[in-house]
Amino acid sequence: METQTQTITYTASLDVLEPIRELLTQTGQEVGLNKKQTYGLCLAVDEIATNVIRHGYDEAGITDGKFDLIIEKNENQLAVTIVDEGRPFNPLEHNLPTEEDLSMPLEERPIGGLGVMMARQSVDEFNYEFSENHNKNIFIVKFSNEIKE
Amino acid sequence: MQIDIKTENSILIVTIEGSIDSKTASEVQQGILEGSVGSDNVIIDLTKVDFVSSAGLRVLLMVYRQIKAKNGKVILVGVSEEISEVMSMTGFINFFEIVDTVKTALDSY
Repeated sequence: METQTQTITYTASLDVLEPIRELLTQTGQEVGLNKKQTYGLCLAVDEIATNVIRHGYDEAGITDGKFDLIIEKNENQLAVTIVDEGRPFNPLEHNLPTEEDLSMPLEERPIGGLGVMMARQSVDEFNYEFSENHNKNIFIVKFSNEIKE
Repeated sequence: MQIDIKTENSILIVTIEGSIDSKTASEVQQGILEGSVGSDNVIIDLTKVDFVSSAGLRVLLMVYRQIKAKNGKVILVGVSEEISEVMSMTGFINFFEIVDTVKTALDSY
């Protein structure tokens, strides 16, 4: 099977999160992902898309921003890429909460950093590239493997 | 997302339907925090919630802190396998009592 590619452009608004999850759920079902894989993909894309909308565009003072969602499927995997022109942000360089943070009582633990950690842990592979002034956040779910526990 | 808030025997019962993402989380948080002013205990029914992002976990954290400060208890009802997974990943799961029905939750106070 050749790679099939679909590109959809969204307005950088939190209103698009739900339609994106619906599209990814439908796509996940079409390619035979299990419930956990589909949920993980929706979660990962949701977290990063939220960061792009909030921090990449809103906080950077960029109005009427847009981003592309590219869905590529072949016989081995489903890859979803968010391409945006907002402020550069590399989630791979973001400090993740430590084991110590995660075992802290909820009263004391810091409130940030969870989203990026959840995004990175909810898909088989997560990559980030910055090229030609675009952030590219890439999420890959492999068909042969379950998401690791 | 829909949220329904009622009080039974001074226990706040919050029923949420839909998704708790970064768009809907503030509404959920405001609803629960306002509703819990007169209650020391909160039951959050997530039976009809299909998606919770980190923004939703943050709401649970805020509610937990507020209720804990009053020596109360937060009980979650009907947490799906996927949401439970996310709560485990982030270490949230150990702080909440999780039961299957609102009745069980009410009986445990």
